Amino acid sequence: MKLLTFTRSLATQAAKLPNIKTFKIYRWNPDTPEIKPTMKSYQLDLNQTGPMVLDALLKIKNEQDPTLTLRRSCREGICGSCAMNIGGRNTLACLCKIDTDSKKDLKIYPLPHMYIVRDLVPDLTHFYKQYKSIKPYLQIDESKLPERENIQSVEDRAKLDGLYECILCACCSTSCPSYWWNQQEYLGPAVLMQAYRWMIDSRDTATNLRKEMLQNSMSLYRCHTIMNCSKTCPKGLNPGGAIAEIKKSMAFD
Amino acid sequence: MFAPGIRSTKSLTSSINISIAKRGLFKTIPQPPGNIIGTVNDAYVPPPSNKLHGSAHWTFERFVTIGMAPLIISPFITGTAPLDSAMAGLLLYHCYAGFQSCIIDYIPKRVYGSLHTAAMLLLTFGTFVAGYGVYKIENEEKDGVFGLLKKLWVN
Amino acid sequence: MAKKFSGLQKEALTLYRKCLRSVYEKPVENRQNWFSYIHSEFNKYRKVSRRDFATIEHLLRLGNRRYEMYKNPSIKNVH
Repeated sequence: MKLLTFTRSLATQAAKLPNIKTFKIYRWNPDTPEIKPTMKSYQLDLNQTGPMVLDALLKIKNEQDPTLTLRRSCREGICGSCAMNIGGRNTLACLCKIDTDSKKDLKIYPLPHMYIVRDLVPDLTHFYKQYKSIKPYLQIDESKLPERENIQSVEDRAKLDGLYECILCACCSTSCPSYWWNQQEYLGPAVLMQAYRWMIDSRDTATNLRKEMLQNSMSLYRCHTIMNCSKTCPKGLNPGGAIAEIKKSMAFD
Repeated sequence: MFAPGIRSTKSLTSSINISIAKRGLFKTIPQPPGNIIGTVNDAYVPPPSNKLHGSAHWTFERFVTIGMAPLIISPFITGTAPLDSAMAGLLLYHCYAGFQSCIIDYIPKRVYGSLHTAAMLLLTFGTFVAGYGVYKIENEEKDGVFGLLKKLWVN
Repeated sequence: MAKKFSGLQKEALTLYRKCLRSVYEKPVENRQNWFSYIHSEFNKYRKVSRRDFATIEHLLRLGNRRYEMYKNPSIKNVH
């Protein structure tokens, strides 16, 4: 009986026609900087590939071209390493399903408007420097330090929902036109959402300092509510809303 | 004449030298490599805080926008424009703030330096000229800016 | 006619001079290594077209960052 099901499964697999899809992937090698970036095509049989874009990329890397470079780690959308521009949308390769329509090519680019380290790997140094500048940790006055645990009510904790889930994949920041033009000074949606997350934390006492830091024309107010950030977020968060909340809370400071 | 990327021959270098010296119409300030100032572990330093450019500016802009809504709609209902000069003034500031945003976005000071200041001055100058125009219209036309617009439709 | 350099060429020359000058902050016995390293790195891209702006800008970024890194006094030698 077991043997029968096994042979049957083999038969159905053989009967399935190969579903060949073309993947066009951005390639650029820093060792030969004089060669311009190119789009390289790879053919994959979708019946032999996993459902997600990351599966396809790893299959290409394993079987066709080991020089293809990308960041990946958790393969389940919690590390934010595999953020890239897939089919014109910034998303995580591990959370993005491959469109099974094999007539259409799938184009994969690195995150837009970032310096590229190699192939699909962007340089996020500046993004992390910006994240560091908002001091993403609890700041408490020495005098207000609690004796034992630092207690937070259920309601106060609920305020952090939809903010703390951010994995800093930089999908939203790199989809924001304001961030494209002024990324050196504008903090970008991801970092501003984290700034808001620490501002409304009931245990944090440095709210005024945090607001003070944003009091200039560049850091916060380059946001023109374009809302690309909320549209693209692979985790379904709303950075645009968080920025609006910061602006509202700062309106009469 | 030359395909890009092909090195020019020796005899042509002197003539090309000057033509390639300029890239883009305006001179820009060179930016730090990879936008990174200091070491990679230093935090980004925000510009000095100034409420006039921060929250005060934003709040004022919102008030103007909200205030404009009834002023713009009211003449359609009443037929005349009793607060026409107020509407024209707010509209002028609204345009000024919008263009100011554009300049900060696309001609940033960190890249264009004095060109940014020049653009801002030009905008301020233009706003004053427009303001004078509004003043004239308010004084000489019967129904102010709204009346002028109405004329465009009627004739 | 005095030779006119474009902005990018000037930037490349500035980087080159910066690199050579910083060698004198390294120990005497290793300076030759540093010089040959700098020469070899710059010679690698001698063939890059002058009008290949994107490449030159990339190389300048890379060079400047590497310069910042090697400038650290705790780095004494290079091979």
